[in-house]
This record gives sequence, C-alpha cells and structure tokens, in this order.
Amino acid sequence: MRFTFIMAFVATAVGCGKTPPASFRLNMVQATKTAAPESGMEKPWSSWANDRQKQVATILEAMYGTPDAPVALAETGLDLAKLQLAAGPVRSDIVGRKNGLYREHCAHCHGISGDGMGPTAAFLNPYPRDYRPGKYKFKSTWRDARPARDDLTRVLHDGVPGSSMPSFALLPPAKVDALVEYVRYLSMRGETELALYTYAEQELGVDDTMPTTKEFLVDEILTPIVEKWQGAEEARIPIAAVPTTLDFTKPGDDPANHESVARGRALFHGDGGCVKCHGVTALGDGQANDYDDWNKVIVEWGKEVAGGLGASQDDAGRAAWLHAATDVIEGDALRPRPIPPRNLRLGLYRGGRRPIDLYRRLYTGINGAPMPGVGPSGPGGKGSVADAEIWHIVNYIRSLPYEFDGELGADRPMVAKDRL
Amino acid sequence: MAEFSSRGYFALPGPKGQNCGERNLQRSSNFRQSLRLPQFGSVSVAIMRISAYNWTHIVACLLVGVTAMLLSFGALVTTYEAAMAVPDWPATYGHNMFLFPWDEWFHGPWDLFLEHGHRLLGAVTGMVTLCLAAVAWRSSVRPAVRWLAVAAVALVVIQGVLGGARVLLDDKTVAKVHACTGPLFFAVAVAIATLSRRSAEVVAGGATRLPVALLVAAYLQLVAGAQLRHLDATVDPATFRGLVALHILGAVAVTVLSVVSAVVLGEDGSTAARRWSKGIVAFVIVQFLLGCGAWVANWGVPSSILPEGWQLAEPLRARSVGNALVVTGHVVLGMLILGASVVLAIEAGAIGRAAGVREGRASERAFA
Ligand code: HEC
Ligand code: HEC
Ligand code: HEM
Ligand code: HEM
Repeated sequence: MRFTFIMAFVATAVGCGKTPPASFRLNMVQATKTAAPESGMEKPWSSWANDRQKQVATILEAMYGTPDAPVALAETGLDLAKLQLAAGPVRSDIVGRKNGLYREHCAHCHGISGDGMGPTAAFLNPYPRDYRPGKYKFKSTWRDARPARDDLTRVLHDGVPGSSMPSFALLPPAKVDALVEYVRYLSMRGETELALYTYAEQELGVDDTMPTTKEFLVDEILTPIVEKWQGAEEARIPIAAVPTTLDFTKPGDDPANHESVARGRALFHGDGGCVKCHGVTALGDGQANDYDDWNKVIVEWGKEVAGGLGASQDDAGRAAWLHAATDVIEGDALRPRPIPPRNLRLGLYRGGRRPIDLYRRLYTGINGAPMPGVGPSGPGGKGSVADAEIWHIVNYIRSLPYEFDGELGADRPMVAKDRL
Repeated sequence: MAEFSSRGYFALPGPKGQNCGERNLQRSSNFRQSLRLPQFGSVSVAIMRISAYNWTHIVACLLVGVTAMLLSFGALVTTYEAAMAVPDWPATYGHNMFLFPWDEWFHGPWDLFLEHGHRLLGAVTGMVTLCLAAVAWRSSVRPAVRWLAVAAVALVVIQGVLGGARVLLDDKTVAKVHACTGPLFFAVAVAIATLSRRSAEVVAGGATRLPVALLVAAYLQLVAGAQLRHLDATVDPATFRGLVALHILGAVAVTVLSVVSAVVLGEDGSTAARRWSKGIVAFVIVQFLLGCGAWVANWGVPSSILPEGWQLAEPLRARSVGNALVVTGHVVLGMLILGASVVLAIEAGAIGRAAGVREGRASERAFA
C-alpha cells in the first residue's frame, strides 16, 4: 500500500509516466507500397489500408510474439530458449545470466524490429543491416541462399571492418549463439511479413481478409521461408584447390607470386569485369551511383510516387495513397544513399581479409550489393572465371595496397593513405 | 581528515583537496589562538579544540567524497546495463539490503556487484547526509548551509526512491530522472562544503554572473546527456538526431561559457576563482575528447557526417573495458564539471549574496 503510494508519487513526479513496452514496427514501406488502391473500394483508402495492416500485425504477433515475449513455432526450428535470452528488456539474475541481449548490444543500431533503423542508424554509413528481407552480404553460401549459422557467428565475432558494426568477440559464445538465433528469428519474421504483403497484393480482392488458416500461414507462407534458412548449411559454394603457382604466405610482390599476380591483374582488367566499378586504378572510382538492394527499393518507389503525384489527382483513393507513400518514404525509411565500389587499395575488407573470405566475395559477389560474382550463380553453373583462377584475382587484390603504381603519381604504398 | 600542517594549525582537505580551513584560519587570530592552545595540553583546552573543528565542513567534505564514489558506481551500473541485476527493492534478492551475504556480493557476478554496491553506497551516503543535516542544524549558523542541508536530505530520499522505482517499474524515464537528480544532489553537497568554510566571508559580491550561467549550462548539458545515455531503442532516428543536436549545442555552450568565465575572472577574480575557472576549462577540454570517445565506443564512428573514408580500420570491440572507462569517464567528469562550477560560482561571488554569505560574517565570529 505504502509502495503504491510512493510509486504513484514517482509516476506523477516523472510526469510522462512509464515508457510503453517495446513493440515491433510494421514494414511500412512494403505495407504501403503493396496497398495500391483498387477499383470498387467502399471505404476511404486509409481506413482500408489500416485494416489490412492490422490483419498482418495480428498474424505476425500470433506467429512470432512480441519483442518482450517471442514465440517460436515448431515449424521454424528456432530455439525458444535462445530467443528468450536475446529478447526482452535487459535484466540479469543472481547467477549473472543476462537476458535482453539484443536490446543491450544491437537494437540501438539495428532497431527493435531488425529493420536497420535504430536510433543511431542515420549517423552510420553504411546503414546497419535491415534483417527483414533475409539478405546478408558476408557468407559462405550461394548468392541467393541464406547465410549459414556460422556465417552470422563469424560476422558477430569479427565485426564488419570499415563499417560501424563492432566485433562481439568479448561476449561468451553462448550469448553470441543466442544473438545469432535472434537475428534469424527477426529475419524470418520480416520475410513472413513481406510474403503476406505480396500475397495480399497479388491474391486478395478488395473486400477479402487475410486467411488465417494453418494451411495458409504455415504451409504456404512460412514453409518456403524456413526451408531457405534450413537449407543454408547445405548451400555452401565449393572451394577450389589453391593453385600451386601462388603462395599466400608470401606478399604479393614476392617473386614466388609474380606470375599469379600478373594473371590476377589480367583477369581484373579483363574477364572479371572489375574495372567497370572499381576503376582501372582499383581506387573504386568507376561507376559509383548505384544503390544496394535495401536502398534501391526506396529510390525506385520514391521515383514512382513522385511521378504519380505529378499526374492527375482526380482519384481520391490514389491521391491518399500517394500522400501516405510520401510520408512513409520521408518518415519510415532512411534517406537512400548510393553504395560506392570499394577502394581496393585500402586493404579494408568488410567480409574479412583472409584469402578464403575474398574468394567467397569474388565467387558469389556481394549479395544485396551491386558487386557481381565471377563464379557460377548456382550449383552446376558456369562462371565468367574458372573457380581455381579466382585465387589469382584474390592474390592480386591482396597485393593492391602494396602495389607501386606510377600511373597514380604515387611513389609510396597506397595503404597508408586515408587510413584512420 | 584533519591534520596538523607544519604551521601548527589545522588544514582541512576540502572537496578538491585544497585547504579549506587554512586561509581563513590565518586570517582569524581568534582561531589561531584556540587551535594553538592544545599544544599546552589541558582538558578544557582539548574540549575547545574539538569544538573548534568546523564539523559542518568536515562532514560536508566527507559527503562530497562519498557522493563522487556513488556517482561513479551509478554511472558504471548504467554503462554495463546492470540496473536490473537486482530485481527487487529495497530488499536485495529477498535479503535485507545490509544483510545480503557479503561474499555473494563481492565474488558474485559483475552486474550484481555494481548494482548492490551502488545501493550500499547510496545507503552510506544517506547516512552521511543525515549526519550533515544534524551537524549543520546544530552548529552552523549560516542559514544557507542549514537549508541546503535540509534540501540534501530531501534529495537523497527522493533519489533513493527514484532508484527503487527505476528497478521496480523497470522504466527508462525514471532512470533518466534518477540520472539527473543524482548530480543535483552532488551539486548541493559541494555547495554546502564550499559555503561552510570559514573563509566564505572573504567572498564579496562578484563582478560577474557568468559562473552561474556556466553552472546552469553544465546541468542542462547533463540532462541532455542523460537522454542520450538512457536511450530507448524504440526512439526513431529523427528524434535521436534532435537529442544529439541538443547535446552538441550544450557542449558548445559549456565550452564557450567556461572559457569566457576564465578570461573574465582571470582579470578581476580572486585567486581561488581564477584557479577554479582555469581548472574547469581543462576539464571541459578533456570532456570534449571523452565525449567523442564515448560516442564511438557506443555507436561507432558517425561516418555519414564525416568525410568519405573516415572509418576505423579494425572494428571496435563491443563491451571492452576501455570503452566502459571512456564512457563512464565522460559521465563522471560531466558531474565533476557541475560540481566545480558550483565552487566557482561561490568563489566568484556570483551566488554568494543569494546564499547569504555576506551576512555570514558576523555569525561566524559568534561561532568562533
Ligand atoms: C554501432 C552499430 C551496430 C551495432 C551495435 C551492431 N551492428 Fe550489426 N551492423 C552494423 C552495420 C553498420 C552493418 C552493415 C555493414 C555493411 O553493410 O557492410 C551491420 C551488419 C550486421 C549484419 C549483417 C552482416 C552481413 O553478412 O550482411 C549482422 C548479421 C549484424 N550486423 C548483426 C548484429 C548483431 C547481432 C548485433 C548485436 C550483437 C549488431 N549487429 C550490433 C552496425 C551495428
Ligand atoms: C557492378 C559493380 C562492381 C563490379 C563489376 C565489381 N565490384 Fe567489387 N564491389 C562493388 C561494390 C559496390 C562493393 C562494395 C560492397 C559493399 O560495400 O558491401 C564492392 C566490393 C568489393 C570488394 C570488397 C569486399 C569486402 O569484403 O569488403 C572486393 C575485394 C571487390 N569488390 C573486388 C572486386 C573484383 C575482384 C571484381 C571483379 C571480379 C569486382 N569487385 C567487380 C562493385 C563492383
Ligand atoms: C541515494 C543516492 C543515490 C545517488 C546519488 C544515485 C546516483 C546515481 C547515478 C549518478 C547514476 C548513474 C546515471 C547515469 O550514469 O546516467 C545512478 C544509476 C542507477 N541507480 Fe542510483 N543513486 C542513488 C541511490 C540509488 C538507490 C537507492 C538505488 C536503488 C535501487 C539506485 C539504483 C540505480 C540504478 C538501478 C541505476 C542504473 C540506472 C540505469 O542504468 O538505467 N540508486 N544512480
Ligand atoms: C564539453 C562539454 C560536455 C559535457 C559537460 C558533457 C556532459 C555529459 C554528461 C554529464 C553525460 C551523461 C549524462 C548522464 O547520464 O547523467 C553525457 C553523455 C554523453 N555525451 Fe557528453 N558532454 C559534453 C560534450 C560531449 C561531446 C562533444 C560529445 C560527442 C560528440 C558527447 C557525447 C556524449 C555521449 C555519446 C553521451 C552518452 C554516453 C552514454 O550513452 O553512455 N558529449 N555528456
């Protein structure tokens, strides 16, 4: 009783009262983009769109729970115990086991919903990863495949050099494990949401409501998503044997590597097609106005909306939709930013600097980024460069920071330049 | 705390280790006599000696020290997000706070060590505050000191309850308020320690009100900092940008005010005011660097507002001890700057009149 009184006093003193519990944000970009008004709508567009968003939110909550109380359907194969360690507000018990790891370590950048729009995101370049489309860059699997568990573990352990993504090597493995599971959870949730919008756009009539049967939600929507994640472990790209003509233990300018580096340089300027973006100098000064997939969605939709706004406005539903779209682009998305091709003379590799890391980057390209791969796009395919030859490009790339290049007018190793 | 200086009278280490009692004692022949007497040794003289201690000042200095430790502990609790390491209050895992097994606390998990330690220190601080109030009420005739001591008691109680509420409600808004009242309490403790010195009478009406502006700016800056520090992950990027702008603006204000104060007081301030104002400038410079470090440690390099290519070559290690020290250092130094501004404002005479210092002269004599 006395406590209630004290608390009431405090709550009044604080004025604003309690901060509301965290909730998942809907993917407003996709929700609005896929909700173009159709003919025969009886309600005004905004309340119609609102209804549909509520249906999606309800389904998502039933399937995935809330940020404080996650749900793991058996079909997802997610480990609820790990999710509970990572979810919720930060707290720890008497033996020091800490919950709320995601909010403690990640949410201020990646956002509660994993939308890459945490409070600090706008200050970062590149923006933190938006997990919701399920796309990841630095992995050992085929370009279109999901990352394997150990790919995510490696990203957490090493961080992403040259971006703001820190290394979590100081966390015990059990915590990293829980965080990886939570990232997968947020991705599956985000992909489910996307699939629901796509379904609504393509299959649902104006007056239809979203089906909520198990057949639909689990078999039709969830299963394809989960299969991709579970197939990731088997979707690794093959690694060709390292040719005997190169030696990664020696620097690129060592005579033992001359031949290999020359071969790599030829491929870089020739079949590899690297100069188109990275430039003949490899300073990353080629084509530089492209966007990665996350930003491209906003850019392209933004153009569409801007074009639509210019056209005639006699359809009230359409006008409402376009105005809502403008608000969403300005308020619910980060300002799109182009992704420059990397300056390869800095020796800064986001996906890791080991030869095997670079091999993987070149083989599949960088998923979600414009950078294409030179290996085949799937099992049994044929790439623009033979698998074993990729090692020579890797060797050349690794020699670039130390290459003396008269053409650049620089007579010192480029690596010292621009490094913080 | 008190010690004999080579010159045979007491030198009392003050809030920042300077001799609070000394300068004044030199001036007051009354005091010098009463303090020298004990060297001849007699019971009645010994009693006189005890009463000659400026107890209010001694206890206030003790309070400043304990509070500085408490603030540092609290800041560590926040840095390590250990606030919820003990879910109940006022008990600790069902134990009476003071009876919680010492061993389990000291050798227990780091988070528990911090949170329970903060509570224990909070309790010690509360008791010292009560002692201070009692002593001040009994022996200090300077009304400002008395009333500040009462305010300190009120603040420490409120602060304790806020700490409990933060845990019981697990609420970030309460945490922010708790983070802002803590330093307020510290400021009051420092004010008492400064005003209870016997030398306070030398402070005449100041030539400048700048130190008051500095004091206010330092506090507002702290409030802005607390919004960044107790950031809720649901805050959207635009709001965050606003909070950052506020804190940067505050940093500029604090820097400008501290420099201008130092320049103005450097010309016509007392020796103490000159020293303190210069010290604050040094603090602020370090604070600026620590602030940038805290940013990077928490949120990475803000590469979108920096020139192309400004990035760390190696990823930062989240949760390293270095990070924690930089971040916590920024917070603690922020509070020390606030405390130092209080001393400066008093030394420069900027708030002396309001605090009734001038009137204190006669009563001090009565006290002696
Ligand atoms: C300081 C901000 C920040 C914090 C904190 C942070 N990240 Fe990141 N993270 C980033 C940025 C920025 C990227 C994008 C890097 C890029 O695109 O090159 C990223 C990328 C990622 C990726 C994608 C890697 C890939 O292969 O595409 C994952 C997974 C990830 N972070 C997980 C986490 C997890 C889990 C945590 C918490 C333990 C976390 N991050 C904390 C900023 C952060
Ligand atoms: C269509 C443009 C394009 C082409 C063609 C291209 N790249 Fe890239 N490359 C990029 C972009 C953009 C990035 C930055 C990706 C990012 O930041 O996530 C990049 C990044 C890289 C990286 C850095 C990987 C890391 O871990 O940080 C390497 C190495 C690289 N490219 C090598 C090559 C090589 C070798 C070729 C030719 C086989 C090539 N690129 C062809 C656009 C391109
Ligand atoms: C009585 C004097 C007290 C003072 C002066 C004080 C001061 C502080 C300060 C300065 C902080 C750091 C805020 C920051 O770094 O931003 C803090 C944090 C904290 N204090 Fe206290 N405190 C006191 C008592 C208590 C008590 C009795 C509790 C009881 C539970 C408590 C619980 C906490 C908690 C949980 C935090 C962490 C807040 C967070 O990270 O969200 N405090 N305190
Ligand atoms: C020079 C005057 C400055 C003062 C007096 C000051 C003071 C403070 C204080 C007192 C806090 C903690 C608030 C609390 O929780 O109680 C804080 C937090 C913070 N300040 Fe400053 N600050 C200054 C400048 C800066 C600058 C220049 C930056 C960087 C650009 C900066 C970045 C930060 C950050 C990032 C935090 C949050 C720390 C966290 O999250 O743990 N500050 N500041």
